[in-house]
Amino acid sequence: MKGSNFSDKSLNINILSQMKKIFKYVMLFLICLVLSNNATAQNVEKSQSAAIRMPVHHVQDTVIATDASKMAIPEFTGTGIDKDQFTFTESMLDEDEDVIQGASAITTSSDDFFLSEVGYRWSSMRFKIRGYDSQYNNVYANGALLNDAERGTFSYGMIGGLNDATRNQESSTYLENSGYGFSGVGGSSNINMRASQYAAGHKMSFVACNRNYLARLMYTYSTGLMSNGWAFTASASYRWANEGVIEGTFYNSLGYYLSAYKKINDKHSISIVTWGSPTERGQQGAATEEAYWLANSHYYNPNWGYQNGEKRNARVVTSYEPTALLTWDYKINRETKLTTSAAVKYGSYGTTALGWNGNAADPRPNYYKNLPSSAYNVWDLEYYDDPANAAEKEDNIASWWQLYNYWKESKGNRQLDWDYMIFANKQANAVDGECLYYVEERHNDQLMLSIGSVLDHEFNKYSKANIGVNINTTKGMHYKEMSDLLGANKYIDVDKFSVGDHGLDSYVIQNDLDNPNRQIREGDKFGYNYDIYVNKVNLFTQYQYNKNKIHFYAGANIDGTTMQRDGHMRNGRAAYIDANGTMHDISKGKGGTAKFLGGGAKASLTWDINGNNKLMIGGGYSQRAPLAYNSFVAPRIREDFVEGLETEGVLNGEISYAVKYGAFAAKINGFYTKINNAVQQSAFYNDSEGKFTYLTMTGVDKEHYGVEAALVYNVTSALSFNVLASITEAEYTSNTNGSSMTEDQQKLKNEKEVIYMKGAKIGGSPLTALSLGVDYNVNGWYLSANLNYYDRIYVSPSLYARKQSIARADGGYDENGNPTKPNIPAQFRGDGGFMLDASIGKSIRLRGGKQLNINLSLNNVLNNEDMVTGGYEQNRGDLNEDNEKKTYVFSKNPFLYYASAFNAYLNIGLRF
Amino acid sequence: MKTIKNILLIGLALFTFNACMNDFDEPALTTPPYGNNSIGAPNMTISEFKEKYRTQLLAATPTEITENIILAGTIVGNDETGNIYKQLVISDGYDAIIIGVNTNGLYATLPIGQKIAIDCKGLSMGGYCYLPQIGIPYNTERYGIQIGRMSRETFEEHMKLIGTPGEYGKQTPLDITEEYLADKTNKDLCPVYAKLNNVEFKEANGTELYAPNDEIAERHVKIGKQEIIFRISNYADFAKMTIPTGKLDITGVLTRYKTTSKDVWQFIFTSTNDIVQVK
Repeated sequence: MKGSNFSDKSLNINILSQMKKIFKYVMLFLICLVLSNNATAQNVEKSQSAAIRMPVHHVQDTVIATDASKMAIPEFTGTGIDKDQFTFTESMLDEDEDVIQGASAITTSSDDFFLSEVGYRWSSMRFKIRGYDSQYNNVYANGALLNDAERGTFSYGMIGGLNDATRNQESSTYLENSGYGFSGVGGSSNINMRASQYAAGHKMSFVACNRNYLARLMYTYSTGLMSNGWAFTASASYRWANEGVIEGTFYNSLGYYLSAYKKINDKHSISIVTWGSPTERGQQGAATEEAYWLANSHYYNPNWGYQNGEKRNARVVTSYEPTALLTWDYKINRETKLTTSAAVKYGSYGTTALGWNGNAADPRPNYYKNLPSSAYNVWDLEYYDDPANAAEKEDNIASWWQLYNYWKESKGNRQLDWDYMIFANKQANAVDGECLYYVEERHNDQLMLSIGSVLDHEFNKYSKANIGVNINTTKGMHYKEMSDLLGANKYIDVDKFSVGDHGLDSYVIQNDLDNPNRQIREGDKFGYNYDIYVNKVNLFTQYQYNKNKIHFYAGANIDGTTMQRDGHMRNGRAAYIDANGTMHDISKGKGGTAKFLGGGAKASLTWDINGNNKLMIGGGYSQRAPLAYNSFVAPRIREDFVEGLETEGVLNGEISYAVKYGAFAAKINGFYTKINNAVQQSAFYNDSEGKFTYLTMTGVDKEHYGVEAALVYNVTSALSFNVLASITEAEYTSNTNGSSMTEDQQKLKNEKEVIYMKGAKIGGSPLTALSLGVDYNVNGWYLSANLNYYDRIYVSPSLYARKQSIARADGGYDENGNPTKPNIPAQFRGDGGFMLDASIGKSIRLRGGKQLNINLSLNNVLNNEDMVTGGYEQNRGDLNEDNEKKTYVFSKNPFLYYASAFNAYLNIGLRF
Repeated sequence: MKTIKNILLIGLALFTFNACMNDFDEPALTTPPYGNNSIGAPNMTISEFKEKYRTQLLAATPTEITENIILAGTIVGNDETGNIYKQLVISDGYDAIIIGVNTNGLYATLPIGQKIAIDCKGLSMGGYCYLPQIGIPYNTERYGIQIGRMSRETFEEHMKLIGTPGEYGKQTPLDITEEYLADKTNKDLCPVYAKLNNVEFKEANGTELYAPNDEIAERHVKIGKQEIIFRISNYADFAKMTIPTGKLDITGVLTRYKTTSKDVWQFIFTSTNDIVQVK
């Protein structure tokens, strides 16, 4: 699918950073002009405390200095050899996000050379177009929108392993007409799943690689459209790794797709499809640079440990989202057609995580207290230079060495100790005590019905229009289950974090007041159990006019969203007893419904100046409902909404210029997107307070602007060179208000406090990405190589660390109580670097119309192991309650992910 | 279609087969995966140890233990509820000693009733305000070198579990009388695994909590004219529970706190299970 023919595609040109600003103002001006016609999609972004990856800038080069005495400490060089840390704090809601497939869906199927290339070419760096959150990108199947209504994003796990079955895709950018739906700023794509769309015959392929999985087998068979009007297609695949390239991970995934199509007559046809991808896989966790350094690898995975000598991963995702899709194509007449689809999904998505109970110690090997720099502050060596601190220095260095040696002593010391945890539970059993360590599985299951219908009409050969509707009703089911008690006999369902504040005998600590002090067995639901209902209706219309040198496009939509929580447990932290002794709660049963009305408009105008030069300008604006995922104060325990919930605004403008000159084609595109009034929630286990915490900010403003460019030069019909560039600025543009809610708070603290987000960059994608590629075809051989350069990769900013009360100043407070010099963490930025990819392929025609395809892709040939792809800042501050600096500097120790080391992917396919 | 069906069946079979990946055998754990199992047999009782090193155990400046001493004792105080923090109390009979360890969650493997051996060589001893402890020296800006807590790693190196919790029976606490408390020389014997019989909390009124505020709360019990202070941690799981009224039997560890200006009896306990209403 990539790069078929790009005669009228674009090229990119690289623009200096200063020009970005000029461009921004030009765009703003243009947007104002077009605003009346514009529509936009919207976005919101939620920062997950856990799963974002971004680059960070390496910590300083030296670390632990030493006073030449006996205490010399080895250098802790931030640059690269290893370190690691990862907080899979037990309750992070978001850490499970599978970012691996983060590239937007639009990318592979676009006819724009830049868009069609970058998704694949830059995928090893999790490149996100323009830094947009994936919720601004819509994925449809036969016109039914498949994005998750709660989180806004499309889950690629839903079609995992079904490469053949989902190959028929069309996509459109924000400013292009699409016959299947309506695109957000991130564009959209539609997978055509009709059985008739597949080439008749058998197709079998085998993949061997060293990635998340090691082998893949895939088989697809299609009858093609038969003379009786029927077509059948089936595809199955299996992906497997006993241990993936990352230690302690595994992969086990089946994919199936079954499809029938019947052309009833010239007007009507029906398609029915079902697919699913039951998967079980062990995850990799991020780590801090220090831990990577100690483990001597950027691929250290803290998620696993030995149990009885075998490697066991604590973070296992088990997912299966079977979907059925019914489509009716109705050709009303030559000019008019109606396409209607209904998709039903019943998805089960569970992620296991370790839990610890009572006052048990945090079992994670890379918990900060286990790291040497928690004993000796390598970031503040001046402190130790003070002779008054000499004795402390000696103690701290000794402790540093002890921890360092512990990490270095054996691999087992760097990993989870399952035997220890089971032993602790056995000890508890001996004294009739409670379970200390266990494995829970957090479920985010979903029942979804999505209907899409589009009426398309061609007025004449120059103009056409469509009108359509997308309806989605979703029930998200959120709960956790006891997966493994690790040999313990007793676990009682109370909130351990609340015990200290309310006492063991208080009703407040109960997770389920209707079943107080319930004993939990393996398989039981516990902790929380609630449903989120989301209903969405989106009406849209689009118009396209194309005559002579002018191409005009306009679209508008109006949408409505409702959301509501239905609790199945009466949580003690959301209950109170009134003066009459009657208990009330806002936890069990249905809460109120929030309703949002959004919509917008967009338009573009393209001027084909002379056949070789094309200019396009366009833009739009829309209002969009916040995501349900961000909208509840503390959905695990209570039903109320975040205060001040409103729709967010998305303003977008683009201008592009394409030129063709002989064998040379180029396109440059500038864009400016402003997102305002968004809502973003961070939900995480707050280690310093020992409480699960929700931190929500409203009024979030972000900007994305930059340039994209592509250039292709066909030297001969067999040899071509190309250049791609994407230079984006994507950042938060204002400080916001945030409110915190911890799970042991009965009443919401309504005090809002400032969160210093201004200037924080959007993390998890290189904001600068450049590529030089060459393609060469000869005698059925296909060779290509791409040299890529990535830079400006940030980790996702922590809302918590930027909160006024956490980032409080060393320098005191002004009359309003605001810190005069807030100690805002310097956002880690990854170092720039090169990565080289190459591939070689050959297509061989065999007798009887059979065809053999062999392709070998080599990625990261130079084996650059120091490319940070993202990460996240720690949700902790650097000062303790008395405003004294902690020894361990959290703001200097973000969790990082690194791009894969050299890897190969061999695909052998046979059509017969 | 047959082929498709077969492929699906094979795939399903593979999936089912591999889905067992998550099943792990429970380890036999015949030797504890914690502590140092190479530590030899105990060669001195806690009583002998305290007798022999009385001076060093009361001194503020710690002394390194250079002799090959292996003590054995049963856990009578730990951090299960957070009232005791980063300390363990082991006793042999009622002779007890405090071990300082710089980690939380010690009770996970060392519940009340677990017998352990401590290889003292290389560790240090000293008195924190005249209360004997085993630990390591710790530099403080204000007081100079004091006895402090050893790291988790050091502790694991110097400790061995003996048997299973409760296997060696319960320790017998010393019943504390007014006469015992009145004899000031007994203070040097602390810590002592002890039981207070028929006592009442001065602060108990049916509503007062153990530690209502964000600070350690001092609670008082009197035996005759002798007063014992309970310092209840505000981080204890029971901090926000009501202090029981009426006559109580309390089992725990009798300690002492001596400074230049005072020398008082104190008492620590692990959990409210140690407090029993007298019927």
